[in-house]
Amino acid sequence: MSTPDGSLVPVTILTGFLGSGKTTLLNRLLRRPALQGAAVIVNEFGEIGLDHLLIEASEEQFALLDNGCICCTVRGDLVGTLKELDRRSREGETPPLTQVLIETTGLADPAPILHTLMAEPELGRVFRIGSVLTTVDVVNGLATLERHPEAAKQAALADRLIVTKTDLADGEAVRRLEARLAALAPAAALTRALNGEADFDLLERPVAEPGAEPERLAGWFDEAVSAGTHECAAGHRGHAHAHPGEHHLHGIRSYSFVIDQPIEWSAFAQWLEYVAALKGEDLLRLKGLVHVTDDPDRPLLLNGVQHVFHPPARLDRWPSADRRTRLVFIVRDIAPEAIEHTLVKFAAVNAASIHPPQRSAAA
Amino acid sequence: MQKSGADLVFTNGRIYTLDRGRPWASALAVKAGRIVAVGDEGAVGPLVGPDTRRVDLKGAMLMPGIVDVHAHLMMGGQAELFELRVPPTASVETLIARVGERAAETPEGSWIIGGQWGSNLLPELNRAEALAKLDAVSRGRPVMLRDDTYHNRWVNSEALRRAGVGRDTPDPEKGSIGRDPATGALTGMMIETAAGIVERTIADSGYYTEEMDRAAMARSIATLNSFGVTAFLDAAAMQPILAALKGLDDRGELTAWSVSAMPAVEPSFMFGIAGDELIALREQYRGAHARPDFVKVFLDGVPGARTAAFHEPYLPDPVLGCCFRGSTIVTVPDLIRWVGKCETLGLGVKIHCAGDAAVSQALDAIDVVRSFNGPTKLVHHIAHASYIAPSDIPRFAELGVAADLSPFLWYPTSFLEGHKLAMGEERAQRFWPNRELLASGALLAGGSDWPVMPNPDPWNGMEGLVTRKNPSGEFPGASLWPEQALDVATALEIFTINSARAIGLADTVGSIEIGKSADLIVLDRNVLEVPADEIANTKVLTTWFEGRVVHEHA
Repeated sequence: MSTPDGSLVPVTILTGFLGSGKTTLLNRLLRRPALQGAAVIVNEFGEIGLDHLLIEASEEQFALLDNGCICCTVRGDLVGTLKELDRRSREGETPPLTQVLIETTGLADPAPILHTLMAEPELGRVFRIGSVLTTVDVVNGLATLERHPEAAKQAALADRLIVTKTDLADGEAVRRLEARLAALAPAAALTRALNGEADFDLLERPVAEPGAEPERLAGWFDEAVSAGTHECAAGHRGHAHAHPGEHHLHGIRSYSFVIDQPIEWSAFAQWLEYVAALKGEDLLRLKGLVHVTDDPDRPLLLNGVQHVFHPPARLDRWPSADRRTRLVFIVRDIAPEAIEHTLVKFAAVNAASIHPPQRSAAA
Repeated sequence: MQKSGADLVFTNGRIYTLDRGRPWASALAVKAGRIVAVGDEGAVGPLVGPDTRRVDLKGAMLMPGIVDVHAHLMMGGQAELFELRVPPTASVETLIARVGERAAETPEGSWIIGGQWGSNLLPELNRAEALAKLDAVSRGRPVMLRDDTYHNRWVNSEALRRAGVGRDTPDPEKGSIGRDPATGALTGMMIETAAGIVERTIADSGYYTEEMDRAAMARSIATLNSFGVTAFLDAAAMQPILAALKGLDDRGELTAWSVSAMPAVEPSFMFGIAGDELIALREQYRGAHARPDFVKVFLDGVPGARTAAFHEPYLPDPVLGCCFRGSTIVTVPDLIRWVGKCETLGLGVKIHCAGDAAVSQALDAIDVVRSFNGPTKLVHHIAHASYIAPSDIPRFAELGVAADLSPFLWYPTSFLEGHKLAMGEERAQRFWPNRELLASGALLAGGSDWPVMPNPDPWNGMEGLVTRKNPSGEFPGASLWPEQALDVATALEIFTINSARAIGLADTVGSIEIGKSADLIVLDRNVLEVPADEIANTKVLTTWFEGRVVHEHA
């Protein structure tokens, strides 16, 4: 364990399409006291424009910033870079690691980075997935989302969406973009950035991860599950409804299920294996809080990105009084009916105990 | 000037159409390779022009060409043209004597390739003494002999030497190299993937030339035509096979509709690229009559070699122990992935399942895919649907899966004897529940699995479907699970319209209907009227493919 208190080091992924303002955001974030001692992995030093922060460049790949951050470029593989960061920290060459930020390239698919963190056992002993931050700029965002599947996937995988350049557009444009984003990733927290300044407390927002405080987890699932119902009932995403062809950007949609009946884990795990095998590519994200029959007091937390699933984490207690199983999906071209039908058929779930999917505005 | 009349008119026939809406007719007309009229003399009369060829059938039975849902053409042609042929009923002594004769006429250094010894001989051949006898007659030539399952090879010491196999060579994954139980000495027996070590040595030596490939394919198709087959599915189409079919089609020399199943992984008996790499090339091998529309997945081996996956264990065995059930070589999730991927690409999947546990697993995987994806027009096949758990029988129809009935082993054979040794008489006999499958509504499609069967004669298969007795007269008086017998009309459907449905060609072949390809055969008897034990004697007098004669009985 590398953090001073022995817990796993969270890895935050900062992504966003070309020109969406992620470098500006990173620059601002790095000045926050909360990021003191963070290690930042970028593709090129030049790109991030950190020269003014640079105080010592011991060798090409690693640099120490004046705020105590380590900055490094990815040479070769991400696994090697993360292991090297850990080694340096453990051997006292650099300050103890508190967190890691990875800035992706503008065209990157964040999923493989998540897969690396989930699948590499050695990394799992030191690091955990923090959250995925995605920047979308209000000027080009809508067009980019529609034209580039990469951009839509970056948004769909986000835990937190940051709408940038809001100073450059009117309120209506911002609202339309936000409606689109809410359809793509209804469970993601949404923040606006103005002149590169955002609500930088966003890193403290609730997120569904094992290291999170139970109360935050409960908050995340409550928001995720209610997000869809609220939007659907309110019907204020009129724009999307008016153009059925645009409902699902690149087929991406989100929905959630609530299951009353306790889950037989072995059957459910088999269902997970099936869905990952057949639909892995289109199962962009699945998060779940599962009430299992063999340990009803300690729910399992599921986190999957495409075909790769974290080993489910067992929480010490339920985060809130709500002890129902909740599953939140972000998918491409998978009908909620197929999920519901197969849960009944292969996961031994009684059809009557599955609540109708809470559809997002995109449904 | 365009001809106004039909090219070809048949009259005075007993035309069995396999069209349930109109089972019988007496005349039909063909134009541009397609059937343009079916009925009586009056129906075709107006289509007769000055250039129309008239065929008086003189009361003979005419029916649509046969569709073989499972054959290996390259191997069949190669075996016919280039290899030592020994019947699977031959004794060890006969097998060795035939190798000796062949060795005398084989140039020094050249391979002797042959088959197919009965897999029931495996224990007797899998001994150092048997290898010594084989070596003694080989005159130093390398020898490789395939068994009747095509999964195993028995080779001589020179072949082992060339393949670099010695006493210290470890068994390959999913295969084994035969060793004498007493001394550990090699026996020349190469089981499952071990067979590939020797096959690959031969392929790498340049033994097979392009000319041989082409000749083998052409010969195979001519052989199929001679038995009345005018459409087939090649059940393990590697690149040379796809290339040969496309090449023949481009030259107008492909005299049957061909559907190809590209192996998902390199099979143990054929070599070259497979899986995604091969599938990616499929469009370049597509032709008017050449359709690479299937993928082949091998899920297990064969019962005789105890490599098929069963729910219940095999009989106790000194090596495998008391409770060996065999195992599948693809996991359920991997199979789900394959079926899902193939459906996305518009390809059917033919899954080799010899044991009942393999059948269950294949159905499970398809069930998962159906449950997520809903209905499909694609028909997947369970190949060799023969040992089936009773609870799985209704699932074929429920899931829209075709039962690929091949090879013709629904009567007593040397295979069955091998199965009895592996799992006991009673279980071995619960082989091919064809009648139960039919009653469940499953699509039954007939195939030869040639050259696993020494020839692709469907009349042998059809007689066996009806009698459950060996048509050759071997195993006299014995029958296999006679309650599973079918009637002749059903057997005819299984080898025509049903197989056409299974391989995705039902709009083109499989029955005599207007618009379909004029793939027609004239028989020397009315198979619906002759005694059942004479069906296998049926001779195909003439075979037409798209209205052209491609076979005439001598």
